Amino acid sequence: MDYAIETVALTKVFSDWWGRAKVYAVDDLNLQIRPNEVFGLLGPNGSGKTTTIKMLLGLLHPTKGHALLLGGDATDPKISARIGFLPEESYLYRFLNARETLDFYGRLFGLDSATRQMRIEALLEMVGLKAVASRAVGTYSKGMARRIGLAQALINDPDLLILDEPTTGLDPIGTRQIKDLITKLAERGKTVLLCSHLLADVEDVCDRIAILYGGKIQALGRVKDLLQKTNKRQIVTDAISDATIERIRELLQKENAACEISSPMERLETFFLNTVVQAQRQATPTSGAVSTTQIGDFLTAKSGKETVLDKLVTATVSEKAEAGPIRTEKPSPRETVVPQPNRDLLTKLTQSTTSSPVARTEPVEDVPPTTARQEKTPKSIIDALTGEKQPDGLTTRPTVAPKEDGGDA
Amino acid sequence: MHRVWAVATNTIRQALRMKVAAVFIVLLLVLLPVMGATATGDGTLKGRLQTVVAYGMSLTSLLLSLLTIIVATYSITSDIEQRQIYTVVTKPIRRYQLILGKFLGVVVLDVALLTLFLGIVYGVVVLMPRFVTASEEEQAQIHSEFFTARASLIPPLVDVSKEVDAMYRWLEKEDKLGVLYPNYAPEEIKKLLTKRVQLERRASTIGQMLIWEFQNVRPTDPNTQSLFIRFKYDVSVTPPDEHVYGDWRIGDLRGLKTGTPVDTPVYRVAPRRDPVRKFREIEVPTRAVAKDGYLAVAFVNPPLNDTTVLFPIEDGLEVLYKADSFAANYVRAGLLILFRLVFLACLGVMAASFLSFPVAILFCLVIFVMGAASGFFVESFGYMNENVGRIYTYTIQNLIRLLPRFDSYNPTQYLIPARLISWRLIGEVLLIMVCLKAALLLVLSLVIFRFRELAKVVV
Repeated sequence: MDYAIETVALTKVFSDWWGRAKVYAVDDLNLQIRPNEVFGLLGPNGSGKTTTIKMLLGLLHPTKGHALLLGGDATDPKISARIGFLPEESYLYRFLNARETLDFYGRLFGLDSATRQMRIEALLEMVGLKAVASRAVGTYSKGMARRIGLAQALINDPDLLILDEPTTGLDPIGTRQIKDLITKLAERGKTVLLCSHLLADVEDVCDRIAILYGGKIQALGRVKDLLQKTNKRQIVTDAISDATIERIRELLQKENAACEISSPMERLETFFLNTVVQAQRQATPTSGAVSTTQIGDFLTAKSGKETVLDKLVTATVSEKAEAGPIRTEKPSPRETVVPQPNRDLLTKLTQSTTSSPVARTEPVEDVPPTTARQEKTPKSIIDALTGEKQPDGLTTRPTVAPKEDGGDA
Repeated sequence: MHRVWAVATNTIRQALRMKVAAVFIVLLLVLLPVMGATATGDGTLKGRLQTVVAYGMSLTSLLLSLLTIIVATYSITSDIEQRQIYTVVTKPIRRYQLILGKFLGVVVLDVALLTLFLGIVYGVVVLMPRFVTASEEEQAQIHSEFFTARASLIPPLVDVSKEVDAMYRWLEKEDKLGVLYPNYAPEEIKKLLTKRVQLERRASTIGQMLIWEFQNVRPTDPNTQSLFIRFKYDVSVTPPDEHVYGDWRIGDLRGLKTGTPVDTPVYRVAPRRDPVRKFREIEVPTRAVAKDGYLAVAFVNPPLNDTTVLFPIEDGLEVLYKADSFAANYVRAGLLILFRLVFLACLGVMAASFLSFPVAILFCLVIFVMGAASGFFVESFGYMNENVGRIYTYTIQNLIRLLPRFDSYNPTQYLIPARLISWRLIGEVLLIMVCLKAALLLVLSLVIFRFRELAKVVV
């Protein structure tokens, strides 16, 4: 089987001036990441995460061993054309503005001018920087620079996305958006390598994780397998009376099970999102990034392997393309013939993996919730954030209209 | 190719927006016109024009050289130090394309700025005669001695080796070498003797005639133009007023030798009085040149003088004639500067491919200064290797040969005396400085950069 990323005995030793070995940054690392997997590389600071990524991409030469990306060498243009990379910090040309930055990277990929134009607009919309797109990126805040860094990594619609600490400096909405994006890309058959020490991010989106320490893998496996406590059960209910609680306690005592009863806390993430929704309803002006949950059209457009989900997504994309001013990549005729989402299939599919009732009631233009990761933030909040819900599937405009460029009315 | 171009345009943007180029551009835009308005030279119109061209070209060349070094090194080192290179080299671009893109960006910037500034200097020079009050004589002078491109003929050195050998043997036999030339190596003594004998051939005692013969003199238009005999006197005894008399004859003097009649006239210049150790020019109609391109120049030291008159070996005498227009010559002068900038761009890129910014820029400046004074270095090390030994001949001398020779290809030394910059010279500089030395540097930088660990942290 071809792995998306495979390392064989990958080792990096940093030596001092005399050539004496000083630090084993990465030590005999054997990693196999399958295509279409969201893989999380975790570890404390200095555990070798970034060094590993740099070796994968050819920025550092391994002392020993080798790494294969998409079955080849990352320095080969054929391979690197299919890779998106977001480094640990957004290292951008400070003198360029957002549009020029993305245009520059687009040109490095050899994209033609029409494609570049289309993708740049879509990405700027997605990362919410359209209003400030003509400001030099040197003047951006860290989070805004991060957003451009992310857009830069996506401009080639990569098959393999390597994200080094993608959520540092981002507000919770941006973090949420990146997580949604990762999920979405995974659904389209892309592979994502995510490197972070923010455990919550990793936990939400990753299929498998590896924990590095001292350049070695300390733990590796599926998130669920690693975290699920099979000898515990949790029941969440609506507010119930004390009498009922007593009866439950009695029941449990018969089974000799210990039990703990409290009111669940709202997640801070959810609370934060709610608060910002309130503020945006009142149209508080902001000079920063505008929050959207949109994901670039071209990123959700057709891919080689079509799934039911892809069809669902494409159906709305083609509608959008007609309504909107920016033409997206043309969906193939076969896709436009089936504009109606196949709801039965979707239901079956989602039921097998999730218990969320949301999946059946939501319009399909947003991230179709397919896995348990989606449960934590109710869809309605995301929708509210991006403005009124629009029945025809048209997306969402930032509510701070005065900041917008006139270009995309 | 368009990936290379993407990097190139980005480099140009960087140079312009990071204010590096802006400083130089503003400086030149202010200085060049001011210089045109204030230059006086030796007071004549020709002198003013020469001053403007000399300073304008030198200033443009110097500032653009510095700009090239700074942009070429900064553009690469800052990408590495500020790590933008992480996102660039992980895109489908080969590392050599990145380096070529940087190089191309610098060269395109250079071409644009060079065209702009040399255009300004040209405009000032061409317009100046219209706004300056000058006598008709002066106006005529600038057309024949400044707004032109004159080819130069220098009398070939006579081979005097036999004479020198005989002289050396004689001195050896008489045992006078140690007295006359103490502590000199035999080669050095021979060199000194050669110089002496050659100078003797170019010395005229009172009443003696010196004749120089030139072949292949081909002026552009034989009927309307003039030839110029440019000379500098030296004397054995300096007269009190520092002037000597000269009696010149110019034309086809073969008739005098053989007694046969010739078609072309022989011009006899009225005896003239000229200062010593200063360049002077005699103007003669081009008809003095015979149809087969033969021309002779004769000088007689008249008895009015009380001294031997000499013509120094390097620049004692030459024949100048118009061979091309000023504009064409000016363009070629610009090309010479461009070649220098291309070399410096390669040098900057090479230094940046393995050094950090401050070290790279220091390295480039050292090479630049050494290149600008390469004649001095070649000469000083030349003396050294005779005295100290063969080690220098095999090490430093070869290194010095690798240095660029900016001073010997300095365009102002051609434009001031309105000398022709021949296409041959352009080809020579292109071949040696660009195709050989600069290309070598560029290839070196590509190799270094190809194998460099870009993310390596050097502490």
